[in-house]
Amino acid sequence: MNSSNPPQAGEYGGDEVSAIVLDPGYSTTRAGFAGEDAPKSLIPTYYGKYNADGQEKLVFGDDVFVTPRPGLSIYNPIGKDGIVEDWDMAEKVWEYSFTSRLTGAKASNPLHNGLNDISNDELPTDMEVESDEKPLADSPLLMTEPGWNPVKAREKTIEIAMEKWGTPAFYLARSGVLAAFASGKASALVIDIGASNISITPVHDGMILKRGVQHSPLGGDYISSQIRALFKKNSPQPITITPHYLISSKTAVEAGQPPQAKYKTFPAEKAPDATYRALLEERTLSEFKECVVQVWPGPNKLSATGPTGVSNEEMARSSPGRPFEFPDGYNQLFGADRFRVVESLFDAKAAILDSDSSFPTPTQAQTLPELIKASLSGVDVDIRPHLLGNVVVTGASSLLYGFTDRLNHELMQLFPGPRVRISAPGNTGERRFGSWIGGSILASLGTFHQMWISKKEYDEHGANIVEKRCK
Amino acid sequence: MRRRPVTRGRKAAAAREAPIYPDRELTNMPPFKDEHVLLIAPGSQMTLAQLGLPETFTPARFRFPTRMFPAQKEGEYEPYRIRERRNEVKVGNGNGAPKSTPKEDVEMKDVESAGQDAAPKPEGEGAEGTEKTEEKTQVVEEILYEEDVTTEEGAVYPIQDGRIVDWPCFYALLTHIYNALSPPFHTPILMIAQPVWSARDREAITQFVFEKFKVPGFSLMDSALAACYGYGVQTATVVDVGKGKVDVTAVTDFAVNEHGRGIALQGCGGDAMTDRLLEMLGPRGFTREMCEQLKRSNITEIVPPGTPLPGAAVTARQGVNPATAATTGADGNDSAPRGPGEGTQTGTETNGEEDEGVLDVAAIVSGNTTEYLANMEKDKSAKKGGAADPRSKLPNNKKEKAAFQFEEFVPMEEESAVGGAKRYMRHNREIEVGAERFLLTSPSQQIGDRLSSGILEDIATQIHHTILAVPDATKRSELWDSLIIVGCGSKVRGFTQALLGVITQKFILSPSATIFTSEIPSAFTTPLPTGGTNTPATMGQPGPLYHPAAHGVNPLLVAATHNNPGMVAPGTPGMDPNGTTHYRSSGHSQTPTSAKTLRLPEYFADFKDQGNSNAPGASVGPSGASQGGHGTEEACFLGAQMAAKVFFVLDQGLTKGYMSRVEYNDNGPSAIHEYIL
Repeated sequence: MNSSNPPQAGEYGGDEVSAIVLDPGYSTTRAGFAGEDAPKSLIPTYYGKYNADGQEKLVFGDDVFVTPRPGLSIYNPIGKDGIVEDWDMAEKVWEYSFTSRLTGAKASNPLHNGLNDISNDELPTDMEVESDEKPLADSPLLMTEPGWNPVKAREKTIEIAMEKWGTPAFYLARSGVLAAFASGKASALVIDIGASNISITPVHDGMILKRGVQHSPLGGDYISSQIRALFKKNSPQPITITPHYLISSKTAVEAGQPPQAKYKTFPAEKAPDATYRALLEERTLSEFKECVVQVWPGPNKLSATGPTGVSNEEMARSSPGRPFEFPDGYNQLFGADRFRVVESLFDAKAAILDSDSSFPTPTQAQTLPELIKASLSGVDVDIRPHLLGNVVVTGASSLLYGFTDRLNHELMQLFPGPRVRISAPGNTGERRFGSWIGGSILASLGTFHQMWISKKEYDEHGANIVEKRCK
Repeated sequence: MRRRPVTRGRKAAAAREAPIYPDRELTNMPPFKDEHVLLIAPGSQMTLAQLGLPETFTPARFRFPTRMFPAQKEGEYEPYRIRERRNEVKVGNGNGAPKSTPKEDVEMKDVESAGQDAAPKPEGEGAEGTEKTEEKTQVVEEILYEEDVTTEEGAVYPIQDGRIVDWPCFYALLTHIYNALSPPFHTPILMIAQPVWSARDREAITQFVFEKFKVPGFSLMDSALAACYGYGVQTATVVDVGKGKVDVTAVTDFAVNEHGRGIALQGCGGDAMTDRLLEMLGPRGFTREMCEQLKRSNITEIVPPGTPLPGAAVTARQGVNPATAATTGADGNDSAPRGPGEGTQTGTETNGEEDEGVLDVAAIVSGNTTEYLANMEKDKSAKKGGAADPRSKLPNNKKEKAAFQFEEFVPMEEESAVGGAKRYMRHNREIEVGAERFLLTSPSQQIGDRLSSGILEDIATQIHHTILAVPDATKRSELWDSLIIVGCGSKVRGFTQALLGVITQKFILSPSATIFTSEIPSAFTTPLPTGGTNTPATMGQPGPLYHPAAHGVNPLLVAATHNNPGMVAPGTPGMDPNGTTHYRSSGHSQTPTSAKTLRLPEYFADFKDQGNSNAPGASVGPSGASQGGHGTEEACFLGAQMAAKVFFVLDQGLTKGYMSRVEYNDNGPSAIHEYIL
């Protein structure tokens, strides 16, 4: 094409719109276009609610972390077990996740979506979009769900996608299966360490083996509760976390010395409530997890004795501690304690007891090794070695330093016979967004067209079609 | 629109450049030339545009106010306020003759002729080029003056807080800019994208640009990335302080981190500062426009937290009716009131700034430069604050009161009586303000929608959040040390320093908490373990870790280091099946241990100007009026020029910096995401 001549109009014939992949989790909701390597939109599933000028206002997205609002309180539409509890709000949060960065509030104008011819001279200017246009009217949607999602919840999900968002095609996939896809495996034992749950999903030839699905609440939030318990018992004095929003300035203090900070005060009726404070404390805790917390790498439990006769705990104690400074300026070195807060994921007896914690004391059956054992005993004997050879680790909490090393030791102890191979992506993004990436791969395949449930099929068969088609 | 055949000269140029990329087919796509590249940077207030890349990069040549007026016909827009009368008097060019031709045509002709003049000039004559440009600018500006300057009634602002809220109007604006600059057909466009634009927005813009303007190449560049290009760094935290919003973006290795990005943070931009001034000064008779100009004036300053303010907190001395009482006040430190007639609108400003701008070069060369400049500055402020007042020798932030030039448009009465068409002139007068001018970022009195402690703290919190969300923890420290602050909202004097002050107060870690990790030389701050080692974070560190230079700083830490028996890592045989590194999310230190801003490279002389200039009337919208002193706050545009040079001219698309028309035809608008930078 000689570009010095004006190009012909209407040369562009149109291209199909790529699907949207929505991966709702307990802590964050991920959304993006299929075919991309990371979700464009990552928002907290938590949302804020407050009253201003006599009306209730909702806050979505990262803004809840940044701007304190008068009387703000924080909610999560998803229950502790990973199943949606508040459908109205879940719909709003999910909708925000793709409208904010991907689709915009309304579907693109039919004159501009590339699907219609536009006259040579000028774009027509009377571009009135129908006011009832739905946000996903021109994008197929792939959503993920936990392996133990009940039928009711699945039907409700497709109902929202079809009726509220107006998607032309929909598919619901298990997050475990997708995480296996992300690692390039059709069969795998997927270990997902999330915020509210840890789950084991055996996948065979791209199908979930439902009897083998195991989950327990010892996820990232549980680790946070263990850290809080540790802070409470801290010596010389218990540590309280004061989030940044309550501090106007801090002064440097020596390690272990009481903090010297200027605090902010809000009038009582305007102060954000305890849920907001808890959410922001969680931010500090995740920084703590990144900087300080470490999984005892094994071999054996932290409470066991090492090969040299020195107890592992002694070894941990002798390693140099890691310093951490809290928002109010208090700072301290954390020694062996930083191993203890995660030990109960592997050894229930090591849990730090805290009567105030919202998490009950873990039982041995909830720990990772037991879950894996239970999961494998639920699947066919023949495929067990194959699964153990393809262990996929995903979920943000699996990024705890030393986690995969320890997991490897535990697996080798549990299953000395077959070869155990752990596949854990080194890239943080791939680890955190494993199931989203799998969804991105699946939805960009040519065969996705044959899998999805079209609007027409949904209209014909009703919501129950999701049970038949999305297995 | 003119068609220009491909000349021999261009072919020859193409042939000359060919050997660099021998695999490129020249027949397919003749290379783009510097003078054909069109840059557009839409903003909520002003849209910057420029045709052609000059020899040395300069601030944008054209500034279009980002607003349009509804035209007679429903759904169409005009760049000027349409008035019923045809015989408008053109104030701008001073001839005052009635004009019967439609304005649009006039402008087209002018610009076009200027373009034709400029087009045949041979390459390498930069001086001539810029001269021509000046001329062209003048022409457009003068035309733009003729609009109804006193009101923006009915104006439609297509971009609000970065979001495109009115698409037809936005398209009309783009079309207006395109037509005004009248580029030849072989003109690629590089547009700066607002972070808040969604993927669909970007597709829609791409489609519009390709189908309406028939461009051969189009590139959408993220504004944060453009700022990084401007500064020539690959990792930085870009804080863009706009009109109504602030964007905070962490860029690592030229990649924008979408997660945790602070997008269109509301109520933190320049408007928020004006609002705060209005809140304080409104009861004293200040209008919003006065506050806006006060904010832009050089007496307004944000002082770092903890600095004592001069005098009492609230000392504004302002009559109930400033429009009349203004500065005729009885106090000795007022200069005589400036009557009308001094600042009639004849294109140049006549308030004495011109001769002040001329530096005595000899004095600089011979003497102490800084001293000389400081003296000049003092003289200037003395003139402004009233020469008789000895206090005016004090630096601004020690003075209890200071005055600024308020400029407004006043109708000339005799004219309006005669022809019915109103003439306006610029009218300057001085208004004195007290310590309120230091308080424009202080928290608002009433708790509205947010429990904010002032916009600086909100921005600092967002920076903290954004950097903490960067997955590659080893980059975070660098991000804190590479802050880039752009956007016109940051032009207020002292903004950057005050922001750094807030960050230091709230977030900088005390040395004792970081003695272990932060003082490791940079070679050790990327402690990714090699494959298969199970060494826990702190054990695998090399020597310097165990012998921190700052012994004795913290007995606890020293004790910890010395009790270390040199424990052997409980290593197990390498079992990482991939043999790749496990990403360690531990083993890095907390941030920030320091926070710094970057400096713009010094070789762009035109961008050195550090803001703070009083740009009178800019908010009234005498649209396109050249506002002196665009400096580092427009680094985005500098970056856009660099990027355009690289993508369009130097590497001819090899880096996939732009989407060509062929690719658009093949893949449609959604393919733009593969080119978005």
